[in-house]
Amino acid sequence: MFVTDIRKDFYEVVANQRVALLVAADIDALCACKILQALFHCDHIQYTLVPVIGWQDLSTAFLEHKEQFRYFVLINCGANVDLLEMLQPDDDSIFFICDTHRPVDVVNVYNDTQIKLLIKQDDDLGVPSYDDIFRDDEEEDDGSGNDSDEGSEPSGKRRRFDEGAIERRIERQRARREWEARRREILFDYEQFEFHGTSAAMMFFELAWVLTKDTKDMLWWAIIGLTDQQIHDKITHMKYVTDVATMQRHVSRHNHRNEDEENSLSIDCMRISFEYDLRLSLYQHWSLYESICNSCYTSSSFKLWTLNGQKKLREFLADMGLPLKQVKQKYTSMDMSIKENLRDVIEESSNKFGMKEIRIQTFGVHFGFQNRFLASDMVHATAALLESTEKEESDIAHNFIKALDSLSRGNLDRLHVGIDHAKRKLLAIQQTVASCICTNLILSQGPFLYCYLMEGTPDVKLFSKPLALTLLCKYLLKAFVHSTRNKRCKLLPLIMAAPKDVEKGTVIVAGIPPESETSDKKNFFGRAFEKAAESTSSRTLHDHFDTSIIELKTEDRSKFLDALITLLS
Amino acid sequence: LLNLSQLIFCFRNEAKSFGRSDLIPSIKLRHCCLLRNQRCITAYLYDRLLRIRALRWEYGSVLPANVRFHMSAEEVQWFGQYKKSLASFMRSLGEGEGLDITQDIKPPKSLYIQVRCLKDHGEFEIEDGTVILLKKNSQHFLPRWKCEQLIRQGVLEHVVS
Repeated sequence: MFVTDIRKDFYEVVANQRVALLVAADIDALCACKILQALFHCDHIQYTLVPVIGWQDLSTAFLEHKEQFRYFVLINCGANVDLLEMLQPDDDSIFFICDTHRPVDVVNVYNDTQIKLLIKQDDDLGVPSYDDIFRDDEEEDDGSGNDSDEGSEPSGKRRRFDEGAIERRIERQRARREWEARRREILFDYEQFEFHGTSAAMMFFELAWVLTKDTKDMLWWAIIGLTDQQIHDKITHMKYVTDVATMQRHVSRHNHRNEDEENSLSIDCMRISFEYDLRLSLYQHWSLYESICNSCYTSSSFKLWTLNGQKKLREFLADMGLPLKQVKQKYTSMDMSIKENLRDVIEESSNKFGMKEIRIQTFGVHFGFQNRFLASDMVHATAALLESTEKEESDIAHNFIKALDSLSRGNLDRLHVGIDHAKRKLLAIQQTVASCICTNLILSQGPFLYCYLMEGTPDVKLFSKPLALTLLCKYLLKAFVHSTRNKRCKLLPLIMAAPKDVEKGTVIVAGIPPESETSDKKNFFGRAFEKAAESTSSRTLHDHFDTSIIELKTEDRSKFLDALITLLS
Repeated sequence: LLNLSQLIFCFRNEAKSFGRSDLIPSIKLRHCCLLRNQRCITAYLYDRLLRIRALRWEYGSVLPANVRFHMSAEEVQWFGQYKKSLASFMRSLGEGEGLDITQDIKPPKSLYIQVRCLKDHGEFEIEDGTVILLKKNSQHFLPRWKCEQLIRQGVLEHVVS
């Protein structure tokens, strides 16, 4: 059931209890976790934090902890499956689920006792009504009751009764079949597309606000959670803008103290500001030139994998009057005169070159003299740490802890390590995109586009992780749409496969919806993958919380693809 | 010590009486070596005692088996006596009520602390019966006194954010 009063029905319930936090491995979940941890620290609520990366992890963690805990809080996992059936908990376990995955499984919605959903109901959920899906099985009993009655009736009356009873039974069975067919249809429509709802970090920030325990740190984490959804293409642009407006209200509320007091805040205090900033990833921590070359928007608009594209870039820089030497320097060492009006100058020039949306609404933080970060910088850095493939750090839980730490203001060195990793990751993505397009690795399979990264591709290990692979898919599709002349191909979704585990011989497959300005980001690949795997009995592992990302045995790749093509044609 | 000096006295006299005074320097040298070895051994044994004393503060009154394996019988006995005298001292504090001074060695900043598990320690039971599963890289938020022991043993790490 949906929790209406988050303070009364969630926070006060767990106030004197020990809680187990099961947190999924994405940035939004990490931010939500930080906010919740801060709240728990305030009120001395004891908890145990366990990171989970998939359904198997979730089940194991639950089994290990079910004896010790009664209350479980699941962050960004658990809403889109029948949780009670999967975990088989005891009757007194209670689950609080704050998950952005939609559609929410109907059993979770209609269970009144054990599942409490910390999800806003106005998030156009479209949950089918109760009567359409669940029905009491009285007809069954009536039918069997009649059967037994028939036995005890005297033989004379039996015939007449029989006919009436049989007719009624046939009628009932027909109605039941109709109802079941309608139910299947409704459920199919409901569960067909996967999408995402309001950020979990924002939900917990609202809880903090209702408790008037919100701090600037928590606000910043909520902003990072929202930005993560935007960077990894989980929500529509409209929703992002709406949520940014909500956050902007909170930011102004927190900021009015800065101007009020006579003595302004110390420079070391945290200041969050609303920025209408450039869509260039990490540009303040890199050189402007590198950032333009490695950001998805600019590189695909210029088509920087072609010689022509490089020329256009030079023209663009010349148009703005920025000398190459300056632009290739670290941003912090650029001339002040250039940095002053940089955003406006870039916007003006971009309009001339066909990039109308070079600027995007976002937020930045600034504490101390040196430390300025945009929300997108934090997302890239933390995501790079979370999915780091360095040898010593290959343990998932270890990376999770590192990424979680990097979100605290006190761990700036970790954050800078993350920024370095993120730069390498963006470079790798750019190079892979360039090579895929230049060597025509993207094939149109009819209903979708398909690309397979071979084993020897440089940096292919980076792409065995879900977040990195999704980012690569998104960039690749955008670049492809800009580079192809085939009108029909521009509207197709993309499926990408990359080797995941060489010893086990598996690949990770991810599917993303087609690229369009008004895309509603609804992904149907989850169900499609399931059906294709079933029909070809391919050995797949649907372990990830996003159903559109699966693991597949390399040998089964071709038959799986063929099944998908037939399914989606 | 007495035996050594007596012996040396005997040897010297013997040497003198047997006209072997040229042996006297080597006797002296050997004696010095023996004295030095004796000093080293006593220093070593004393250092062990100091470490065993520190063990009481680190591990509590029951030592893990692998530590006890390395102690001699006399050291175990000494440990027992140290334990007893520490316990009677603690009992005498606070006007007969007793105070456990092995807790909170550093002044605590808060009642509850966030700890991170550094190695798999299995299940950990606390006095009120609750059991916590300490798995590597899991984080917990627990009352300070429950974790102090484990922090000292290096199983948990106090996280300051």
